[in-house]
Amino acid sequence: MPILINKQTKVLVQGITGNEGEKAAKAMLDYGTNVVGGVRPGKGGEEVLGKPVFNTVAEAVEQFPDITTTAIYVPPFAAKAAILEDIDAGIPQINTIIERVPIRDTAYCLASAREKNIQIIGPSSLGYISPGIGRIGVVGGPKAQADEIFTPGSIGIISRSGGMTNEVSWQVRKAGLGQSTAVHVGGDLLMGTTYADLLKLFEKDEQTKAVIIFGEHGGSYEFEIVDLIKNKEYTKPLAIYIGGKFASTLPEGMNIGHAGAIVERGKGAVEKSQALSEVGVMIADRYEDLVELIKPYS
Amino acid sequence: MNLYEFEGRELLEKHGIIIPVGEVVRRGDNIADAYRKLGLEEVVVKAQVLSGKRGKNNGIKFCSNLEEVEKAVDEIFNMSICGQYVASILLTEKINIESENYLSITYDTNKKQPVLVFSSEGGMDIEDVAEDKIYKKLLDIREKELAGNLELPAEFLETAKSLWNCFLSEDTRLVEINPLVKTTSGEIMALDAKVALDDDAFYRHNKEAQERAKEKGLDSGTITDWDLFESRTMLCRPATEREIAVQEIDKGEKYYQGTAGKYIELEGDIALILNGGGASIANMDALKKVGLEPANYTEYSGNPPREKVYALTKIVLSKPGIKGLWMCGVVANFTNVEETFKGIVDALDEIKPTYPIVVRRAGPHDKDGMKLLEDCAKRNNLNIKIFGKETSMSDTAQVLADMINI
Repeated sequence: MPILINKQTKVLVQGITGNEGEKAAKAMLDYGTNVVGGVRPGKGGEEVLGKPVFNTVAEAVEQFPDITTTAIYVPPFAAKAAILEDIDAGIPQINTIIERVPIRDTAYCLASAREKNIQIIGPSSLGYISPGIGRIGVVGGPKAQADEIFTPGSIGIISRSGGMTNEVSWQVRKAGLGQSTAVHVGGDLLMGTTYADLLKLFEKDEQTKAVIIFGEHGGSYEFEIVDLIKNKEYTKPLAIYIGGKFASTLPEGMNIGHAGAIVERGKGAVEKSQALSEVGVMIADRYEDLVELIKPYS
Repeated sequence: MNLYEFEGRELLEKHGIIIPVGEVVRRGDNIADAYRKLGLEEVVVKAQVLSGKRGKNNGIKFCSNLEEVEKAVDEIFNMSICGQYVASILLTEKINIESENYLSITYDTNKKQPVLVFSSEGGMDIEDVAEDKIYKKLLDIREKELAGNLELPAEFLETAKSLWNCFLSEDTRLVEINPLVKTTSGEIMALDAKVALDDDAFYRHNKEAQERAKEKGLDSGTITDWDLFESRTMLCRPATEREIAVQEIDKGEKYYQGTAGKYIELEGDIALILNGGGASIANMDALKKVGLEPANYTEYSGNPPREKVYALTKIVLSKPGIKGLWMCGVVANFTNVEETFKGIVDALDEIKPTYPIVVRRAGPHDKDGMKLLEDCAKRNNLNIKIFGKETSMSDTAQVLADMINI
């Protein structure tokens, strides 16, 4: 059993009539994911890819009360309203791909989601994929490419970067291994679902034997892993690459790469690697080395 | 965007926090005029930089007459503070202090909510203050008014409430007052201001936002226009022409359709056009590992239209003294490689570089994209090597190094 997705997953696509929304709906359907419909205010009653479009999330939920997941493709200024609609409707899992959501809006949504025990993956998350089971969002790209990169296996993958979710998964595949679930958590300062949240799920997942993480400088999420391991809440092998060594030469407070990748004292690539290494995490010097480190445990 | 003290303190004042009177001096300004305008004998001369410790680095000087002020200004304009360029100087009233405190609001990334931090040990680095002297209170971003259950000395409550209003309505990532002083006459005053704005909220803080407020019958004067802030960089120099030009690319209605507006000018001679926030960071490390030095940091990601990529490529390649170009990206999820390569080809057709070029890219429509690039290479006789996903990104850095070092 992979994490986050299973054969019962039923997906709603918000913004399905837009370019990116339709592309994502198609990507999911092509990969065998059950997309039940979409939302676009004012376009209720229309169809996209043969799936019904609703004016509101509430209307969609009325029709399909068993929607498990929503994937959101709306402009950043509409993000907060879209997410709050889902929270009101009680959809248990929200994947938001939207980049450049104001942090005040993200924090607002995260606070509201937590009260109702709703899981948000993102913002800025391209989604997640469990090879052979399904995917949320566009991780892997077109079906043919996704099939080249992803195959069922024992390696869990978590990445701050969408591109590196694919790239690392490809390295895993090239080495003759497969993936259990690959998750793009997004590069924002505030992450709805963190490394630690996912490691707890991978710990329970029998298919996953080891996990690879692509992390980066800035923020303190990597340090949460240290506590998780110390508390034995995660016990499987873990290999991590933390990007941004060169950033230590930049002035503090400067932002480079993702929104969350701020140059901060004590939170650089070197400090994070050191702290993780002390609790037994394998540290890759180059991202290409991740696979070599994890291979013996696959 | 991080604000200079003189900008940040105006935001604080807008929300009712008291600040000392002051005058901003820029390079070439008449200092005597500014000093006279201030009309005070005792003044503080403060370097304006975007981060770092000014006090410890002689960036703050106390002066008692014009001669001293002129000398201090001259000295400060000639220093770099923690590697940063001093853009301007703030002259302020010297305040008689009874106590120095610390007050800030920022986001706690573990709790994912704002946190208020207070300490009665202000004036020094908060990291150097003992844990038991620091009061932290998690706040709920959904509360418009700060709740009254803060365990702060009563005299600072009003300031804390004002700071919360400032934090929310100005869309900041950080507001910090250090020191927040009580003066000998009992006033509570902010003697410094560190403010980081959330760039992603720009559309709530510009002329259009003011217009929208007007249409709704709201007071548009309460909206600060971020576009009026001068361009800046945290590096030890003013923002370069190229850095300023690139910022324009992602502006306008379609700002969120792909990112192509990132450019930091660096000292080296290898031009970089990278893809993806995460991969680009990893590839900066990879480039350094093979002994090459970047001329710039640049990445585009998402699905930027051809025009954006064209504009970006032109600017990246306009830097003098380039010895090589590395265009390196991951196996893209949904970036249309053909569309983005069209923008690159448009620029290469114009510039026709003679230095070595290495490309590594894969993703949707990559075959068509690569074909465009190969045709472009043929018609312009480019010295180029093109790789797909079979070759890892780091390995192509070595290929470029070998081509340059022949």
